[in-house]
Amino acid sequence: MYTATKVTIIALALLTAGVVTAQAQNNASINVSAAVQQPIVVLAGPNLTFGPVFPGVPKAIALGSPSAGRFDVTGQASAPVSMTFVVPSNLTFGANNLPIASWVGSWNGLNDPAGSGFTPSAGATAATFSGTGTLFVFVGATVTPSVSQVAGAYVGTVQMTVTY
Amino acid sequence: MRAPLTILSLVCVVTLPLAGQTSVTGVRPLSFGTVFPGVASVVSRTDPANSGQFDLKGHPGGTASLTFLLPAVMTGPAGATLPLVFGGSDGGFSASQSINTQVAFDPRTPYLATFVGNRASVFLGGTANPSPGQRAGSYTGTVTLTVVFF
Repeated sequence: MYTATKVTIIALALLTAGVVTAQAQNNASINVSAAVQQPIVVLAGPNLTFGPVFPGVPKAIALGSPSAGRFDVTGQASAPVSMTFVVPSNLTFGANNLPIASWVGSWNGLNDPAGSGFTPSAGATAATFSGTGTLFVFVGATVTPSVSQVAGAYVGTVQMTVTY
Repeated sequence: MRAPLTILSLVCVVTLPLAGQTSVTGVRPLSFGTVFPGVASVVSRTDPANSGQFDLKGHPGGTASLTFLLPAVMTGPAGATLPLVFGGSDGGFSASQSINTQVAFDPRTPYLATFVGNRASVFLGGTANPSPGQRAGSYTGTVTLTVVFF
């Protein structure tokens, strides 16, 4: 009886020590998820073309003209985007400059220049993809050759960036 | 003969309650929802709808070590991956299970939490960083929380 009690007490002491230092480990998991929308793809459409220009005679290309420039953009249907432009202040031919007096632009979910007008610039312009995820951006401008403008083929680059 | 029986009965009485008093349960997924390519998406740990949540059951006044297993990416269509970032205060512990009374912690390292009552919650936020050309589709990953109760 004495031995049994002693063993019990020792066991209880061990158990108590075990309880104090006991650890219970558990784990659980949750999901992480995201639905990524369509990436933006910008393609250069027709170039903005002034054609023959005469010294001293300004020439404007309207947005509805077949000579207007166009960018074709695809992305997430109905999503809003921001457009920024880098536009040249001159077309160049070697060291010769042909000034561009002004720029005009419009955007539309359809391939139609009769959309929302804006002035292409480094400042952000808001636009929205169509319900099918298309966006067409039209660009026109006016060049102002001087009366002594050097004859030649003048070129420049318009860059458009579209972001969500 | 009686001593081993006595010991056995004590073992049962002392250890059974321990096993039933602690638990971890995944309650809410960490959801970034709609994400646009090139646009980082941030979910705050205090976001009641989109933050991840685990509920803990422990001992009043007890402590617990919280260790996350965090994915570096989510996986999407055709094996595409979407990077995830967890910041130094994207983890939150609430001894009252209230999303509004969290103590921030770094989920990238183990955190020692103290219970007040027998229930608590752990919240998790994070950032998804889709590239500009990120493939469209559904992306998923798994966050695991391991809790050691003391």
